[in-house]
Amino acid sequence: MRALLYFLPLFTKLTGPLLLSLALSLVTLAAGIGLLGISGWFLTAAALTTAGAAFNLFAPSAGVRGLSFVRILSRYGERLTGHNATLKLLSELRRWLFAKLFGLVPVERRFGRADLVSRLVADIDALDTMFLLALGPITSAAVVGVVMSTLLAVVLPGAAVAYALGFGSAVLLVPAALIALSRAPSAAANAAANELRRAVLDGIDGHQDLVLFGAVAATEASAGAAALRLAGAKRRVALVGSLATAAVQLLAGAILVATLLAGLEALAAGRIEGPVLAGVLLAVVASFEASAVLVRSATRLAGSAAAAERLVAVAETEPAVADPAVPSDLPPGGDVEFAGVTFGYEPGRPVLHELGFTVATGECVAIRGPSGVGKSTIAQLLLRLVDPQAGVVRVNGADLRGVPLSDLRRRVALMTQDAPVFGDSVRANLGIGRPAATDAELWAALEAVRLADAIRQLPRALDAVIGEAGRSLSAGQARRLCLARTLLSEAPIIVLDEPTSGLDAEAEAAFLADLPAIAAGRTMIVITHAEVPATFSRTLSLRAGQVSEQS
Amino acid sequence: MIPTSDRISPAPDTAVRERLRRLSRDGGFVARLALAVPLVSGALLLVQAGLLARILHSAIVGGLGVASLSGAFAWLGGVIVLRIAIATAGEVLAAWAGETVKLNLRRALVTTLLGRPPVWTAARSSGALSGLVVEQVEALDGYLTRYLPAMVQAAVLPLAFAVVIMPIDWVVALLFLVTAPLIPVFMALAGWGAEAASRRQADALSRLSGYFADRLRGLTTLKLFNREAVETEGVTAASEELRRRTMRVMRIAFLSSAVLEFFAALGVAGVALYVGLTFLDLVSLRGTTLTLEAGLFCLLMAPEVYQPLRLLAANYHDRANAMAALTEIAAQIGEVPSPVSSAAVRPVVSSARRSGPAGLRLADIAVSTPGGRDVITGIDLDIRAGDHLAILGPSGGGKSTLLEALAGLREYRGQISLDGVELAQMDGGLLRHRVAVLGQRPSIFSGSIADNIRLGRRTACHAALRVAAQRARVTDFADDLPLGLDTPLGENGLGLSGGEIHRVALARLYLRDPGLLLLDEPTAHLDPATEDAVLEGLLEFAVGRTLVIATHSPRVAARMQRCFRIAAGRLLPAPVPAARKPAERGAA
Repeated sequence: MRALLYFLPLFTKLTGPLLLSLALSLVTLAAGIGLLGISGWFLTAAALTTAGAAFNLFAPSAGVRGLSFVRILSRYGERLTGHNATLKLLSELRRWLFAKLFGLVPVERRFGRADLVSRLVADIDALDTMFLLALGPITSAAVVGVVMSTLLAVVLPGAAVAYALGFGSAVLLVPAALIALSRAPSAAANAAANELRRAVLDGIDGHQDLVLFGAVAATEASAGAAALRLAGAKRRVALVGSLATAAVQLLAGAILVATLLAGLEALAAGRIEGPVLAGVLLAVVASFEASAVLVRSATRLAGSAAAAERLVAVAETEPAVADPAVPSDLPPGGDVEFAGVTFGYEPGRPVLHELGFTVATGECVAIRGPSGVGKSTIAQLLLRLVDPQAGVVRVNGADLRGVPLSDLRRRVALMTQDAPVFGDSVRANLGIGRPAATDAELWAALEAVRLADAIRQLPRALDAVIGEAGRSLSAGQARRLCLARTLLSEAPIIVLDEPTSGLDAEAEAAFLADLPAIAAGRTMIVITHAEVPATFSRTLSLRAGQVSEQS
Repeated sequence: MIPTSDRISPAPDTAVRERLRRLSRDGGFVARLALAVPLVSGALLLVQAGLLARILHSAIVGGLGVASLSGAFAWLGGVIVLRIAIATAGEVLAAWAGETVKLNLRRALVTTLLGRPPVWTAARSSGALSGLVVEQVEALDGYLTRYLPAMVQAAVLPLAFAVVIMPIDWVVALLFLVTAPLIPVFMALAGWGAEAASRRQADALSRLSGYFADRLRGLTTLKLFNREAVETEGVTAASEELRRRTMRVMRIAFLSSAVLEFFAALGVAGVALYVGLTFLDLVSLRGTTLTLEAGLFCLLMAPEVYQPLRLLAANYHDRANAMAALTEIAAQIGEVPSPVSSAAVRPVVSSARRSGPAGLRLADIAVSTPGGRDVITGIDLDIRAGDHLAILGPSGGGKSTLLEALAGLREYRGQISLDGVELAQMDGGLLRHRVAVLGQRPSIFSGSIADNIRLGRRTACHAALRVAAQRARVTDFADDLPLGLDTPLGENGLGLSGGEIHRVALARLYLRDPGLLLLDEPTAHLDPATEDAVLEGLLEFAVGRTLVIATHSPRVAARMQRCFRIAAGRLLPAPVPAARKPAERGAA
């Protein structure tokens, strides 16, 4: 629950819209209570009256019609304002998360292989509905409880205490008990869901090996067992929820009976009139509308708290690298030097071991080696996404740890292994490399990567939307687009990490063959597992943490 | 509630809709019971309202006190408790049945996924597929446990209530009978309006809603181009744009909740005014006089008539969520699998096990990519039992493709016969028994190093495990770890280097007794000294077995009896390189 407080500043930004939606929801509830209460009073009074046609019809009929109208409008307004506030909150949360995550790049290695992005999106969604579905209804119920208790204290004092106690328990005790009691089964359900996810991930990632070793059935069995545990834990969570609902309803029933008892005594004693009693009783019945949603809201609240905890955990992770306290200048040029660099993701188990090599300005160098050998780590070190444990990485003689990160990124451009095509226009995709690029520059870059013809054929050329939401490019075209984006950056050093992943052998050979000419004077380091064309300046071979020159 | 998750799902096809309908049937008897039980507690509402009206009538009109109404009070309390107990039982049953449905679907999904060919799974994101089993199936929960019961109640209760009220007052009953069914009609009309409005904006909406996830996935790229500030603003602007567009749709969509409120309020107000005016003799549509008890009963039932519809409206998005989840499952794997009955589980055929080296004969083998391009063609090769041979050639030349075809992992044209039996006709179990394969990217599973090696033979004793680990030089690095072979690996465990993973995978093979070993670059990650040591262990194990190695390494090729080269998709004989001087042992 404490993690929710972390997001308080975001919520206070939206105090106005949130309060408006809360107020409208209270008006809706009040109109409902008033409508049924006045109806009960009017109906009973009419049954008892002897005045006949002389009965004052105007007030009750106007009240009934007015309150109906108010309720319809306020319900509509409540929905609209509540959603508007929620979506505003969503914007704020997204901005917050996005800014936080930028400090933690590369994110994947830290938070596991399961789809982090979907989990984050789901957590943000759980958090943005917190007010609409959890805090709002609970607050409304509390206000209804206080107001109704006060009214009862005036009209039917005998019932006020029972109402206050009953409603108070429903608003405070039941949700608290629900959250406390469902903590253990919820944790068990989470654990089982993670086990299930791990079993499936193991099964998919290692599918071929499982088939080869005839172990598919065992994986199926362990996934099935995790799913069974998940179902069991979820059933316990649901049981606690159902019991909480039952408790709220029993409290409502008790309030009803207690109000009726107190009312009959007051009626017998002449302290209350029959029509008023009927009105009060129906108003009490109507007020249960506010308590009926409490259990679902409490469940939501617990869910939001868990989401908040996960988000805070992500947000409070220390960045891997920090800007230097005393930045030094980065001398011009495109020389790269690794000297005695040792790096491992786990201490004591280096991926790179006293790695040393240099690349001079204008060279086009390939770094080859089988997958998993640490080629991408070289790129990460050069872009300072991680720092070496020993040794030093230099660009033009300057130790990277002393150079401002933004300067370094203007000097070195990296096309990552999984460089994405964003669901946006061609122009926007390329503009990430050079925001101020003219059309001529964009076309030149596309021309250089031999993509210009394909883009020209798209309906709106540079403005055609590509990526998931739009026209999809082939794997080769997508890689070429990412290459064009990287080339557009004015960085004198270009690093391409597995630029041909996902391409077949022919496309791969064609792609690599083009690179030395495209580099045109810039330093280019190409990390690849593929055969390197003879046009490259040199090929370095990475094996067991060290490089050797390949003939 | 309209879904706040701003994903706009594509129109679900009829097969998915049909599957959704069948989904509840997977819950069996409990699911049907869970749908029926809330109707009973609904019926008890009538009794509760009747008792309440009688007590009020007796006290207000009849002047009776609490003492003389104690019987009615006891009944009232009893009915309230019973009604709540039954409603709770209904919820518990619905949750139980819902979990059963989800459990069965999860099992069916896992079976389907793992029953696909490994080439199929390899081409897909494991994160997305595991998301199907965990999150997407979970998204059916609301539909099963809330929407379906609400649906049944909304279909039955309002009409049932109206029918019960009919003999008491036909005008009130008629009011309910007319307004209650009108609500879904008008809500649907408003819903259609919203749908039409959203369809017009669907393009822009789906682009905007994908924006956030899209940019999150590309975070590293954006950061490396110094785009932090611009893109953070971009995400905010896209979210705001999304909000404005969504609200435009919501303005129409929320008309449906206004409609619901309109009819519910109309019902209550209409009953109150009609009954009141009848009491005042200003309206006389009935023959007999109306009692206060009957009037109060009608008024008390008025909100209850609309309550099931309110419940349905509150849970209406659960159906859309379930539909989206099933659509996603169908989109990823092409179908929504049905639960497997235990009878349908494949029987395990015991095959005659044989041992000793396997002979292999290839005649005119060709393998093509899914795109139809030939990777290798016209390959003829006769491998005698016990032969050791290397296949050389550039990366991407087709070495791995050929090995995969020999392992029965890829479709091929031509004939491959193992021990004289055509590969395609061989029983899967026998094939796996006779052929051991080390792929280019062996996998590590969560579990200890020992667990990972035991994948080769689950029942392997400690001594056998140790021998295999030593032979593959796993012990060279494992013995330096505090927990040795019991060191946990995987997501939360130790990360192994490429070379270490290959050695663990080799140790797996050493726990088996294959006649044919197919190894794809087994020493590619190793420094020369470790390569020699690993090769030593391999040749020791390969005595009396047939061995085919795809490799770049002249050191490995030098130890084979024959060498071949793949060039331009063809297999050509090549000279065996001269043996090299053993390298000095160094750190791996």
